[in-house]
Amino acid sequence: MTALEVMARATAPIPLDVSFRVEPGELLALVGHSGSGKTTLLRTIAGLWRPHAARVVVGGMTWLDTAAGIDLAPHRRRVGFVFQTYALFPHMTAVQNVMAAMDRPDRAEAGRTLDLVNLSGLADRRPAQLSGGQQQRVAVARALARKPHALLLDEPFSAVDRATREKLYAEIIALRRHLAMPVVLVTHDMNEAQLLSDRMVVVAQGHTIREGTTAQVMADPQALRAMGIRELAAMLPAIIAAHEADGLTRLDAPTGPLFLPGVVGAPGARVQVRIMAHEVILSRQRPIGLSAQNIIAGKVARVVPGAGPGVVVHVDVGGHEILARITRRAADQMALTPGDAVHAILKSMSVARDHVTPGPGSARVAD
Amino acid sequence: MTTIIHRRSLLGALAAVGFARPVMAQNGVPVVAAASSMQFAMAEIAEAFAAETGQSIRFSFGSSGNFARQIREGAPFEVFIAADEDIIPGLHRDGLVADPGTVYAIGRLVIVAPHGSDLVPDGSFDTLAALLNAGKITRFAIANPEHAPYGMRAREALQARGLWEALQPFLVQGENVTQAAQFALSGNAEGGITAYSLVLSADIARLGTYALIPEAAHAPLRQRMVRLPGATPAANTFYDYMQSHAARKILERYGFAVPAAG
Amino acid sequence: MDWTALTLSLQLAAWTVAILLPVSVFMGRFLAYRRFRGKGLVEALVMLPLVLPPTVFGFYLLVAFGRNTPVGDLWQSLFGQPLVFSFEGLVVASVIVNLPFAIQPAQRGFEAVAADVREAAKCCGMAPMASLWLVELPLAWPGVMTAMVLTFAHTLGEFGVVLMVGGSIPGETKTIAIAIYDRVQGFDDRGAAIMSGVLVAISLFTIALTQWMSARMGRRLS
Repeated sequence: MTALEVMARATAPIPLDVSFRVEPGELLALVGHSGSGKTTLLRTIAGLWRPHAARVVVGGMTWLDTAAGIDLAPHRRRVGFVFQTYALFPHMTAVQNVMAAMDRPDRAEAGRTLDLVNLSGLADRRPAQLSGGQQQRVAVARALARKPHALLLDEPFSAVDRATREKLYAEIIALRRHLAMPVVLVTHDMNEAQLLSDRMVVVAQGHTIREGTTAQVMADPQALRAMGIRELAAMLPAIIAAHEADGLTRLDAPTGPLFLPGVVGAPGARVQVRIMAHEVILSRQRPIGLSAQNIIAGKVARVVPGAGPGVVVHVDVGGHEILARITRRAADQMALTPGDAVHAILKSMSVARDHVTPGPGSARVAD
Repeated sequence: MTTIIHRRSLLGALAAVGFARPVMAQNGVPVVAAASSMQFAMAEIAEAFAAETGQSIRFSFGSSGNFARQIREGAPFEVFIAADEDIIPGLHRDGLVADPGTVYAIGRLVIVAPHGSDLVPDGSFDTLAALLNAGKITRFAIANPEHAPYGMRAREALQARGLWEALQPFLVQGENVTQAAQFALSGNAEGGITAYSLVLSADIARLGTYALIPEAAHAPLRQRMVRLPGATPAANTFYDYMQSHAARKILERYGFAVPAAG
Repeated sequence: MDWTALTLSLQLAAWTVAILLPVSVFMGRFLAYRRFRGKGLVEALVMLPLVLPPTVFGFYLLVAFGRNTPVGDLWQSLFGQPLVFSFEGLVVASVIVNLPFAIQPAQRGFEAVAADVREAAKCCGMAPMASLWLVELPLAWPGVMTAMVLTFAHTLGEFGVVLMVGGSIPGETKTIAIAIYDRVQGFDDRGAAIMSGVLVAISLFTIALTQWMSARMGRRLS
């Protein structure tokens, strides 16, 4: 498997000027508001649209190069596309949908692909007989059955409810182990982007606002101005230790225990916790008598000012980072400087259910 | 997929009807184009011809004008029996037929009225005029005077009596003289003008009453017939038979005057 | 009951449907999915046979394919007999006259296939023919079916065009519609009623059959 390189420029119908690269096994999130051009970029990669000037190369194979006059039809590109509406063939069963994408239709192999997306036993159902989440899984299975050199997902979770979405996130993360190709995910949901992706490209009005690893982008207030500053967050890895009798789960994190309400998973399971920067309080001394159950010891790594009254404090906790967004006034009052010892305080209740997902977050090439 | 089976059975049903070219079991049977006003008379003549010669005839009935158009486009008719006498000389002038044909009959016009109509048929049009003046005419049917010979003659007869203008708002025009008879006798009109030969047939006679219109009221309805190029010997035989004594007897029974044998 | 005329009509309808089926599929699909300058004009031309009175349209066809025309002469040289006033001429005329019935409903059927489903077919590696056969046709089939039913029924009843182009020659171009008209003209109402009844019965049966088949297909999709 090889990397995906994309360059696209256009003036109409929407302005576009973006380029990026995705390594094999890597998941890149294209984020932006509606009309930002992110879906257009995805369609350009698939061959469903051609901008004025563009280049799409997947590991040496040129799918599109307007300068050289090359434009492979979509069916000649080995691309897996999961549509926002799933676009399943309504007259075919789930397994027939999957077989439709195979070079040599093989029912047994199609069945195995459906097993991979947790749809065993539903192979002979028609799309109309499947729930939204199940349809989405069929769409993913069908895209994978194509043996694509690039997997494209166009807001694939937008049509399902929150509970289903949580489950699907977990499944995609688990599926990543089997994905050796570059993956591009288009979304406007920052939580989703942070949970699932390794790298991010933030797009607004067809232009790249920020590009980088997910951790970098999600810590950058300038980047997040476009998507909402309240999305600023960091991911902390942890291991489930025990489910306690009063409903809290104890997790082992880099610098001590974390207590979160009702985390799903068996003891020993690895998870990732998304900690929103605006939910973190800082204190020089370890506070006593506070209701908050999570008091995490760490060291100030960086203080990054924002444009408004806020600053983002990067707190190093055992090699990982937690972000805390506090007022500049507070930072001045506390005279925070890199190297200072601080405590990050986090209410158990401020971590949402769908902000905890199975880990680890880093991509792995298929075995 | 079962869709394929459904498609195939539809095709099978179509195929079962038979894609074979229609069986021309009737090769050798002459095709004769005849004006629709002649349909009853021709049926009898053909029957008599078959009895005498064992040869049957295929007829195509329609309007003389249409037939002329089709003959110009190469219609494979072998004999053309028209309801007027101008169309065939026209074909002859344009080189489509070898000779100007033969006058085989002279037709008559009748004024008709269905049973129960206010109109009592009268060849001098007196009753018609009276009803018109009384405002009791709603519809009156004639054949289209633009192209149907019987229609043209009907117009002449009405014009001669000075009723044409007055009758204009109430006229219903049949595509040919048979359709005019249908409109006239359907009960939707007070009456109309149609061919004498038609009302002499049993089917029509029972629908109403009629009166002959004097020949002097209009130009003669001389009807010509002609052989067309490509006429088979059988067709030629029929053409001659049309002028035979037996055929003339039948024509006379249908109210036609037949020109002296010559 | 003029069985020859009835057989002629059924054969004419069968041939017309057989020829127009691929036209219906390919033209219907073409007009559904392609945008091009002059598309409105093409669609209007397809509808043209509906606008003109049948006898008039028949007359124009007669003049266009008759003696001393390129098409007419070509046919004559190939087959030794004229195109017009023959059964084959009726088939040609019938195909042209039924274009709006064959193409329009099929076009609607193809238009009803969601755009994203067609794009998904492309992304599944299906070339245009594969996409047509595996995805579009199974979904657009009701439209194509409607088109064929309309064509069949319309051909059975077609009168004006057939009369002008065919000349009403018994055993060759005298269809049942013309035979019924002849009966009416001959004041044989009973004969006309019998033949009309048979014609209506056949048409109703055909339409009911195809509706049943469409319903079955619809059930399988849901």
